[in-house]
Amino acid sequence: MSRDRSLLWFLRLYLLAVFGFVFAPIVASLVFSFNSDRFPTIPLGSFTFKWYVQVWGNESMREAMLNSVIVAAVVSVASTFIGFCTAYTDYRYRFFGKNLYLGLALLPPTIPLVIMGLAMLAWLSRIGLSGHIWSVMIAHTVMCSPFAMAVIRLRLAQMDENLEPAAWNLGATEWGAMRHVVLPFTMPAIVAALCLTAAVSFDEFAVAWFVSGINKTVPVVILEILQGNVDPQINAIGTFVFMTSMTLIVFAQVLLLTRQKKQVGTNE
Amino acid sequence: MSEVLVEFDNAVKRFGSVEAVKRMNLEIYRGEFLALMGSSGCGKTTTLRMLAGLEKPTEGQVRLSGKEMNDVGAHERDTPMVWQSLALFPFLNARENVEFGLRMRGVKKAERSRRALEWLARMDIGDLAERDVAQLSGGQRQRVALARSLVTEPELLLLDEPLSALDANLVIRMQGVLTRLQRELGITFVYVTHSQSEAFAMANRIVIMNEGEIAQIGSPKEIYRTPSNRFVAQFVGRNNILTGEVTSQDGRSVSVRTELGEFNMPATAEASSLLGQSISFVVGADRVALNRQPRGSVNELSCQLISEEFIGSVVTLYLEAPDGTELKAQIQQRELDEINPEPGMSLWLSWEPSQTHILPH
Amino acid sequence: MTIPTEHSRRWNGYLLTWRLPMIVWQVLFFLVPLIFMVVLSFWLVKNYRMEPALVGINWSKMMSRDYFWDAYWRTLALAAGATVVTSLLAFPASFALAFKVSENARRWAVFLLIIPFFTSYIVRAYAWQVILAQSGVINSLFSMVGLGPYTMLNSAFGTIVGYLALTLPLVVVLQTFSLASIDRSLIEAAHNLGCGRIKTVFLVILPLAKIGFIVGALFCFILSFGDFVSPYYLGGSKPPTLSILIIDTTKSGQQWPRAAVVAVTMIVTLFIIAFTAVTLAYRKPGRT
Repeated sequence: MSRDRSLLWFLRLYLLAVFGFVFAPIVASLVFSFNSDRFPTIPLGSFTFKWYVQVWGNESMREAMLNSVIVAAVVSVASTFIGFCTAYTDYRYRFFGKNLYLGLALLPPTIPLVIMGLAMLAWLSRIGLSGHIWSVMIAHTVMCSPFAMAVIRLRLAQMDENLEPAAWNLGATEWGAMRHVVLPFTMPAIVAALCLTAAVSFDEFAVAWFVSGINKTVPVVILEILQGNVDPQINAIGTFVFMTSMTLIVFAQVLLLTRQKKQVGTNE
Repeated sequence: MSEVLVEFDNAVKRFGSVEAVKRMNLEIYRGEFLALMGSSGCGKTTTLRMLAGLEKPTEGQVRLSGKEMNDVGAHERDTPMVWQSLALFPFLNARENVEFGLRMRGVKKAERSRRALEWLARMDIGDLAERDVAQLSGGQRQRVALARSLVTEPELLLLDEPLSALDANLVIRMQGVLTRLQRELGITFVYVTHSQSEAFAMANRIVIMNEGEIAQIGSPKEIYRTPSNRFVAQFVGRNNILTGEVTSQDGRSVSVRTELGEFNMPATAEASSLLGQSISFVVGADRVALNRQPRGSVNELSCQLISEEFIGSVVTLYLEAPDGTELKAQIQQRELDEINPEPGMSLWLSWEPSQTHILPH
Repeated sequence: MTIPTEHSRRWNGYLLTWRLPMIVWQVLFFLVPLIFMVVLSFWLVKNYRMEPALVGINWSKMMSRDYFWDAYWRTLALAAGATVVTSLLAFPASFALAFKVSENARRWAVFLLIIPFFTSYIVRAYAWQVILAQSGVINSLFSMVGLGPYTMLNSAFGTIVGYLALTLPLVVVLQTFSLASIDRSLIEAAHNLGCGRIKTVFLVILPLAKIGFIVGALFCFILSFGDFVSPYYLGGSKPPTLSILIIDTTKSGQQWPRAAVVAVTMIVTLFIIAFTAVTLAYRKPGRT
């Protein structure tokens, strides 16, 4: 049986290597953000906070961060709303052309970002909406709503199909059932969708780069810095960006997973 | 004579090209416990849903207390339902679930809390009021569902196979609870089920449905003893059904000749007029006697034992007649011991003429 | 799952409130921009300004350029290469997660893998640039044992590493789900009938997981084909990929119609590949 055991150990080590590969850049960014040397390499220099201080002191950097936060906040609400509409419509109604409807809703992630960027830039310019902060918000909402839709739809699939009719049966109108039954039931997924879409928006750089003009978000600033020389500030910014999105994603996943065990509400 | 509470007037329900309910005419009386019984797909649940307003009749009308209901939405009716899956709201605790209907009617918090707790106590689960639904047992959830529907004190309660997922002993207990509740409150219960024992145990009247149509309406005893067609005879109880030609009649009894012999039975007006034609008749499995030797009774035939089925102190024996007809006999355990049969053994099945029921043509 | 009751067959405000928003938004800000971009490819650029027209000059000019076709085949090759490499490298990991670890561990693993997928790709690419640089982390480690330095950036190798960073987590997760949902009794039956462990993988497991694997490969291809960050920052940006071509043409050249031509070509290519892949994935056995 030792051939089996060595296979098992090989596979486990391999898994670790994959995780190492995937998390290496995040760890590297974190480590080097506290490194005193300008150029990130081994052996390390001394521990320092100076890059964080420098980033924080940078006016345009703070402005970009504010933009990113505002955009992410607005986008998360808008795309979660649209995602909810789509998910609920898919759950509740059967109608002619439903496949086309769903296709329209779920297509954006399959279009390469550069192409989306170009198309958005061209169209938004044409209608005079380019170069503003809402340009990014509009584009990101398009791109994030499929994620919100998927998350909320999965949650709705867990809902007893009789819950809404039960509410009507007890005197709730359709709006009442939405308010008192559907929304409470899907709330964990809605919050998770808010976090998820906020994270996606926060990190999105390509389309933002195309359409944002002078109102830059953080990723756009990063892109521009990268076009210059090696700048250790990137590590500090990068770590900050990582921590933000990672927190959001972890929170969203926790919300989606713990609730699952509790739920069903059927006759068992 | 009881007042009519619900009327189905030539109600039809079609889904695409499928007719789930074909021309239903039914009156439901105030205060009765009515069971809608049948196998899957017979249309009983669709009928219930039309009453609740969850389906709109394709043709015809549904009337509640004389008022036409076709265009009245589900939420505007007072027809609370106990669902098969119970449909308890998982994000609310027991008391909040019960309060829901009151909340929708704008009842104030203190008042609805009081009434909800009252009903929970009435269902013997008062101390579980603040518990989350997920932490309750099947039987406890049943009671919450019941309380939730009854707290608004409706005239009509709809039940869609609510006991189908419970353990056998819980079913018996809940049947008692339901029967008691219905008699005490005087509310009209409309109960959908596929289980004969449930319907027979609780209902005043049973509606047997088959393929979207009503096969028979009657009290449990009527349905059991005098099925009005072959379908009901086969569906309900354990019946022996034989078919043959009317050979003679003398006003009080008729003789029918079948492949298995000639048998006597009390005449009906219809049977007497069908001399020379074919009729079917029914003998309940609990109305036959089994012996090892022929007894020389008027109605007797020979058959072979195939298998036995024990249901407590009563045993059902499945037998086969020489022409392949399936026969059943339901006897007490001690009678079985006297006969001491083995599979394949030849037995003699006999019955009194008066125990025969002729099926309407 | 059955569709819940139609509360009312009429179209009412309630239904419209939920059905319309997506349609309006997507048409206005997704469909129309894409259609406009196609239209744009037929416009003229005169004196640095765009004019509506219906001319094929952008198409003919672009299609006749060598650098366009170089970029096209190069992008295609890189994406295809990345797809193969990623699918292969992901397999031992997904196999391990599906068959060799506990269900709990698998959930944790997926949980962890999803995280980087949603974090900033561009920062990760920069970090790789630093790690792979001439005097970066890896080369420093090599020099400690007397090896190197190796040139890893500004080459196809760098680009592929970048694509891996982008797509590996996703492909591993998709493959894992696919493998984990295979009916175990089928594998046991194969062993029971004398099929060796390795043969079982190829004759039983992979065919059963076909759909998930093809979908994973497809996503990998789409993401790599359209990405510009890896070829730009890790691959040296010259010769350019199609995505870089679009950026150059748009940002520096202001030649939006030309960029649109490249974009449309990319979309058509992706559509053909996706269609083929899905057909392959869902083709019933026995028609080979």
